[in-house]
Amino acid sequence: MIGWLAVPRGWLDSFGEIGRFGVRVAGLVYSGRVFKFFGEGLRQAGILIFGSALIIWAFVFILGLQCGLQGAYFNRSIGAPSLAGLFSAYCDLREGLPYAFGYILAAKVGTGIVAELGAMRISDEIDALEVMGIQPLTFLCATRLLGAWIAIPFLYLVGIGIIYAASFLSVVNQVGDVSSGGYLLIFWMYQSPPDLIFSVIKGMTMATVIVLVGCYYGYTASGGPVGVGTATAKSMVFNIVAVHIIGMLGTVVFWGANPRAPIGG
Amino acid sequence: MMILTVKTLISAVRAPYPYGEELVWQLLFVLKLSWFPLMISTFALNLGAPGLQAAGVLSLFGALDRLGGFFVVIAIRWIGPLVTAVVVAGVAGTAITADLGARKIREELDALQVLGVDPVKNLVVPRFLALMIVTALLDIFAIVFGLSAGIAAELLYNQPLGGFFATLFSNATITDLWASVLMCTMFGAIVAVVCSYKGMSASGGAAGVGRAVNQAVVISLVAVFFFQFVVSSILLATNPELQAVR
Repeated sequence: MIGWLAVPRGWLDSFGEIGRFGVRVAGLVYSGRVFKFFGEGLRQAGILIFGSALIIWAFVFILGLQCGLQGAYFNRSIGAPSLAGLFSAYCDLREGLPYAFGYILAAKVGTGIVAELGAMRISDEIDALEVMGIQPLTFLCATRLLGAWIAIPFLYLVGIGIIYAASFLSVVNQVGDVSSGGYLLIFWMYQSPPDLIFSVIKGMTMATVIVLVGCYYGYTASGGPVGVGTATAKSMVFNIVAVHIIGMLGTVVFWGANPRAPIGG
Repeated sequence: MMILTVKTLISAVRAPYPYGEELVWQLLFVLKLSWFPLMISTFALNLGAPGLQAAGVLSLFGALDRLGGFFVVIAIRWIGPLVTAVVVAGVAGTAITADLGARKIREELDALQVLGVDPVKNLVVPRFLALMIVTALLDIFAIVFGLSAGIAAELLYNQPLGGFFATLFSNATITDLWASVLMCTMFGAIVAVVCSYKGMSASGGAAGVGRAVNQAVVISLVAVFFFQFVVSSILLATNPELQAVR
């Protein structure tokens, strides 16, 4: 039976190790040593796009529908249904998309990496790589990080288009308090290119942390099939909390002091 | 998965109830695992998304006391159930799949069946009931921490709290709270069934268990989000008192 403080204590134990591991892997990418396996990096990017893109976009679409729905009804309740664009502009770009992206990336990509690397560790394939003279950390973890950095910005940008379309559908077509022109006027008025860049930075930070945490838990898995399952579960817990904390810090840093809204002076 | 749902429901209500002890054990297990991630997650999400973003805009109008009414919409109707479901799926759901998957791989489930013990009744039903109860409880917990994040956002903008509480309590309705808790109960059921099913159908050694956990958490997240969209569409469209101006 586990104790009430088991989860926070486990994080305190592993937080430093995850940090050190992450810095090492990121260092391997930055120092260019990963380009020895550039083909493998491209293959990982391809796996990410073909395996995860559709599910990521479907998830983002559902959250966009929800954003538009809540925003439309909230604005109706304060007597300003034509301002639904304000709510969905903020909800889509600044908050909703990074969180939706973080959740589904943690669920699909993060746990996928743990399952894959964990199975390799359990069946001693990682040791075999080392024996063959290939650095496993570079070949397995750094290439995955490189692949994520290549593919994910584009997945994210397409996701922005999808979440906008979903909010438009639910505000204009489902609830229908505002015309499409009126919605789009307010919607585009309340966002600017810097907001887009901040949003992408938020999403990319989440993606980097998720891939690194996944690599750590997979690379250090032990204890047979049960161990792989437990490591996958642990990585999911860590990733969810990391996504929320990064989201909050991003909001505080980028929009905390200046809401960047075209109101007043 | 549908077959498993029906089987679980039937064997939950049919006469012998051997799962009492396991139910309590699972309840405590999920609570002990989930309370800390849930606390941090709801607080961070509510402070960042509705707290600071909305407070920033409202402070331009000088109407920060309206944040309370906004938090009814966000913290109770939307983020409370959503984050509870995400955390429960990520923490308890993955643990359930890993546990059942490992038992399946080691052929313990087959051994149970040989011994004449029904795995659905003795393993799935207690988890199903425990997750339904725990998500409802954790939803209340999430709402409390969400509202305390709203209070923190007000304090960051140096506002008196009277206005926040006044608009909060005048906008909150019993329907909102009930809908939130019931929605969460259904989320718990969805997560439990998906994760149990994926765990019990795991195959292929160590890689198989990991893959089962991966698929389980993806399916339960997508299902929960979609379900919430449908439920809140119906709820908001059929309850006009939720749309009144107060």
